[in-house]
Amino acid sequence: MTGRPLADDFDSLRGLGERLVAAGRLEEALAAFERALQTAADAGDPRQAALAACNRAAVAIALDRGEAELPRQRAILMRDFDDVVSHLAAYNIARQHERAKSFKKSLFYARIALDRARLLGRQDWIAGSHNQIANVLLAESQVDEAIREYERAAAAMPATAGVPRAQLLGNLGYCRALQGRLREAFQLLSRSLRLLIRARAERFQISTRLDLCFAHLEAGRSRDARRHGLVALRLAERAGDADGIRNALYLLGEEASLRGDQAAAGDHFGRLQREFFPGAAQLPSFLMTVDVRKLINLHA
Amino acid sequence: MAAAHKIRQVQLVGRKIRQLRKQHHLTQTELSHRIGIQQSDLSRMEKGEYRVSLDTLFKILAEFNLTVGEFFDGTHADELPPREARLVRDFHDLPGEAQREVEDFIAGKRRQHQTTEPNGN
Repeated sequence: MTGRPLADDFDSLRGLGERLVAAGRLEEALAAFERALQTAADAGDPRQAALAACNRAAVAIALDRGEAELPRQRAILMRDFDDVVSHLAAYNIARQHERAKSFKKSLFYARIALDRARLLGRQDWIAGSHNQIANVLLAESQVDEAIREYERAAAAMPATAGVPRAQLLGNLGYCRALQGRLREAFQLLSRSLRLLIRARAERFQISTRLDLCFAHLEAGRSRDARRHGLVALRLAERAGDADGIRNALYLLGEEASLRGDQAAAGDHFGRLQREFFPGAAQLPSFLMTVDVRKLINLHA
Repeated sequence: MAAAHKIRQVQLVGRKIRQLRKQHHLTQTELSHRIGIQQSDLSRMEKGEYRVSLDTLFKILAEFNLTVGEFFDGTHADELPPREARLVRDFHDLPGEAQREVEDFIAGKRRQHQTTEPNGN
């Protein structure tokens, strides 16, 4: 024991973890929540241990290491400590199912998370739950319904919510781009990017940059599309974000192909095939021939 | 941006997936299980109403193990004018090296066209 009250240690570690998450420093946040969990476990406090486990799971899911968290989060939800812990566990389960492309399961748990957030009257959690529901609807190509949920999320979200608001604006911007409402899409995506740059949240820029790349492609602005696509690719490589790398390679290949630069298109599509679809030798020639922008959902 | 003539009809791809599925005697349920999506989503995809991830699209292509020529064989004949459809078929019949020579020739012609066009950009 350090001589400090245990509760202080726990709260300060959780606070540190939350600040690191807000700054996008997820590896360090994971370590902070892990220490908080250990502190709670040492003190024999199951409720605080569950709380820290939820925090740790949220970060692990964001880092694409959430599979092992799923049974633990389900067990926490089943124990029904209180609405706070239940909301966090349900929200994490919804996020992990979304990552695993189990969208209908994700929707089920996201609605539980929303229900608990409403009972608590926590506007930020209500916003987050609506945002999660919207993400799943968007992944299922239900764009109009997704927009309604994003707008509910935006209405509930506190004005100070920098990174979450930026993500929401980015998602909404992508929806508008899919609808062909490009002027609105650019406004939303540009606001999203500004907020993320201000927050120095590089990892979260990947999605917004990819959406901007897509929107510029739709608008026929090749140079801008390429600029955002290349930055997204660099950030995704740095973060080890496989989905981001895959989508960036596809969009950069599409941009080059539409511009008539078959060599560059072949390079991007070739790398996409080698790294992500090694068994699909026909992929580069297929993408050189077929423009699949209307078939692809970058958020699915 | 120079407009490349890529095939972009989403309904065309959806229709082709339905046609291939039937040729392989697969129900929507069977194919959707194989590629890991819901049957209702595959149905919407075949109608051109459902966008999918790159993963899912290429799982479908891998499922049928098709070349581009095979994918579009008999499909886009009614989407392109006959002369263009014939050109695409002839192109796909060429060996890889010959296809690259044709691409280089077309790229050269495009550059030539862009530099001679008064308002080209």
